[in-house]
Amino acid sequence: MTEFEVAPDIRNAALWRFEENRGQILADVVDRTYQDVLEQTGQKPLDLPLLEALYAERQRLRRFKANVFTRERKKRDQIFWNGTQARLIRSPGEVDRRGVLRKVLEHYLEEIGGHFNPGVYSLATHALPVGFNWMLNAASAGTLNPWRQKAQLQSKLRIVGEVPMLEGLAKKGTILLVPTHQSNLDSVLIGYVIHLMNLPPFAYGAGLNLFSNPLLSFFMSRLGAYTVDRNKTNEIYKSALKHYSTRILRQGVHSIFFPGGGRSRSGAIEQKVKLGLLGTALEAQTLNLREGRPNPNVYVVPMVTSYHFVLEAASLIDDYLLEQGKHRFIAQEDESWQVRKVLGFFWKFFATESSVTVRIGKPMDVFGNLVDEDGNSLGPNGTLINPCKWLTTRGEVRPDAARDREYTRELGQKVVERFHLDNTVLSSHAVAFALFEALRKHYPDLDLYRFMRLLQPQRTLAYGEFLQEAESLHRRLIELSEAGRLHLSDELQTSDVRAWVQDGIRNLGIFHDKPVVKVEQDTIFTEDMSILYYYRNRLAGYGLSLKGDRNDRKGFLA
Amino acid sequence: MTEKDFWRKSTVAVIGAGNWGTVLAHLVSKNCNEVRFWTREEESARSMNATRSNPKYAQDLQLGGNVRAYNDPARVFEGGIQAVIWALPSKACRSQARELAHLFQGDEVILHATKGVEDGSLKRVSVILREELPAARIGVISGPNLADEVARGEPAATVVASAFEEVVEAGCALLTNEMFRVYPHTDVVGVEWAGVLKNVLAIAAGALDALKLGWNARSALISRGLAEMVRFGTFLGAQESTFLGLAGVGDLLATCSSPLSRNYRVGFALGEGRKLEQVLEELGSTAEGVRTCQSVWEFARKRDIYMPITEGVYELLQGQRTVQQMLHHLMTRPIPHA
Repeated sequence: MTEFEVAPDIRNAALWRFEENRGQILADVVDRTYQDVLEQTGQKPLDLPLLEALYAERQRLRRFKANVFTRERKKRDQIFWNGTQARLIRSPGEVDRRGVLRKVLEHYLEEIGGHFNPGVYSLATHALPVGFNWMLNAASAGTLNPWRQKAQLQSKLRIVGEVPMLEGLAKKGTILLVPTHQSNLDSVLIGYVIHLMNLPPFAYGAGLNLFSNPLLSFFMSRLGAYTVDRNKTNEIYKSALKHYSTRILRQGVHSIFFPGGGRSRSGAIEQKVKLGLLGTALEAQTLNLREGRPNPNVYVVPMVTSYHFVLEAASLIDDYLLEQGKHRFIAQEDESWQVRKVLGFFWKFFATESSVTVRIGKPMDVFGNLVDEDGNSLGPNGTLINPCKWLTTRGEVRPDAARDREYTRELGQKVVERFHLDNTVLSSHAVAFALFEALRKHYPDLDLYRFMRLLQPQRTLAYGEFLQEAESLHRRLIELSEAGRLHLSDELQTSDVRAWVQDGIRNLGIFHDKPVVKVEQDTIFTEDMSILYYYRNRLAGYGLSLKGDRNDRKGFLA
Repeated sequence: MTEKDFWRKSTVAVIGAGNWGTVLAHLVSKNCNEVRFWTREEESARSMNATRSNPKYAQDLQLGGNVRAYNDPARVFEGGIQAVIWALPSKACRSQARELAHLFQGDEVILHATKGVEDGSLKRVSVILREELPAARIGVISGPNLADEVARGEPAATVVASAFEEVVEAGCALLTNEMFRVYPHTDVVGVEWAGVLKNVLAIAAGALDALKLGWNARSALISRGLAEMVRFGTFLGAQESTFLGLAGVGDLLATCSSPLSRNYRVGFALGEGRKLEQVLEELGSTAEGVRTCQSVWEFARKRDIYMPITEGVYELLQGQRTVQQMLHHLMTRPIPHA
């Protein structure tokens, strides 16, 4: 990788220093988790958590369908857990359980722990954009003329919001970026956004399934990704993962979590978030403060991505409808990246006017209070909050499990709230919402599932009627945006309803096999109710839906 | 240092020198090092420090030597305090919190003893305090605690609820003594709403008593009223079981039975056929139930929460019905399906 010059600021990046001490750090995390598990177990025999882990791992391995890339790992895991079982069968006098616990933790952390290779980082951030730009220009101009390479990828990406503040805070503390999650392409996009913003590389947790693709795995495991396996549900693993995350944050490594867990199935902005990893921000800051480290603060920065088109929309919304309907158990599919689909997507993406909007939300402290440019936590009525005081219990700065759980729950609520406030509504979302709701007015008594099964003539509307609904929705959107409850994209900031509606119809789910919305002879209809519902849901959670279902009794997302 | 030791050595501020605030200051003073009592009036503070009793409320209560009154709030918070007991009427909560916000450090444990919600917004007191103060650890004290009885040292029990364990621990450590029991709880929504909703029912209880009705009528009112409280509370996320405890049925029984309760007195006077304005004027102090009733009823009606008794009290307060008409309406309406 030496042909790529490594920028000095990357050499200095916390992530790089982390890599240099990787062995020591992993050993530390093993120690900390080990102490933690012992403490949690207390007087009870250590066999209990170990057997729980063993049982859960056996179940997981039985369900796990290995492919050509993952076969090796499955085998390794099986051998490891067979050995663990053999040791646990013998009496505690013969085999010390503490030793077994240590081995389990070492096994897990070797899998979790990421690597960072600055050479690969340079390659990825310099070479890949060149490739992107080449595609962009080839697709849009039909020429490879290098002088026209000015139509940069940036023009397809609108990065708005608190960018300067984020850049400033990254020097004053550690950033925990919490993005909304809609698509597998989010990771690629976010990596590139971070690069464009002149920020050092971030560490991020990536689903273990993504590592099964050798090419992605090569890049990800060298770009600071650590692995998160959501199929491992036992307490020992979860504890190890949390301690690892706490440790890299304490190391000053900026990190990314998708707080919603997986991708949004419904298409809606996350309505609740997972608190486990989120809480490591608070823990890292508490320990930093206790030890009097410089730049102890962790800043939680929301990031909301708005797409006209989500590659996996169809399978996501199907998952959602099945899950909500509880009609049958959903086998977890390892949705691998189909290279043809992804490339096709990029090609079309560059060829059209379509763009992606990324908004950097208002940065918060670990409690969910907003912070100013200097990183001070802002309280109500013009007060400043001293995080030390909020972390003081019985006169001392210290971690306190019960207190921190509650703080983290509040932070989670704040993240959800900020996601909605920092959301940029696109014309296509408004079109989907207006059409869906206008249709619902014709069938107010149907529940979601019966509504989804309407026949084509039943889901056709007079264009004028649709336009009326769009107009009234637009009015309410403007009200909300003036009240600071959401943002409108440039296209929606017009008084010309027909203009934004046209833009929305053109862009809505633009790359699906069949158009989501069609206009024919003064009528408008949808070819696919589920996908329309998916895009419509991006405006759920603002109370814009029919008045009648304030309490959402019929199971639509209000 | 154990929790008990910590709180024994602590300094506690009491905001609000009303009846219940004075009694709470007295209770807390037995379990901490120093109590700083804040009152708006300079004269009142001076007199309290001279006579060791509150000249306006609970006059017979002899305050301990470690209780000191101040009228300058900065002096109350000077050097840092560990806990704040907040005992202001609900109407004053937001504006006072705004005024005092800059004095809070953020490590204080805050316990409020205000039974009420904000008119219109229906925000609970703990929500208001969270919005206005730069501190997060907030809890509520609520239960069947008629201040005068507690002041006389008669046995009583209460509930302290917070999402933060340490707030509940502080409440238990600071308030408990051999005549006052504190039960820990986590359902803040339930405890706060129970304390609010029972005020409306106390008005109804007073009105019934004015008609000189017996125990059957009162018991029917209390149990059907409790059902309304549960319906309303669970809609807002409270746990049903909270209403079966001290803060729910306990407080409801005390308030509906005691002629000491202001809400009961309002109901009683209305039952005698007097006008609301006149009654409130004679009372001289606020009756929370009167203000709460309208907001609660409007909220419930919009969301189809069935609350016939609250509706009746609302109409009574508006002068739309007499007590007899309200009673007739309640007794003859169809039995709702379970």
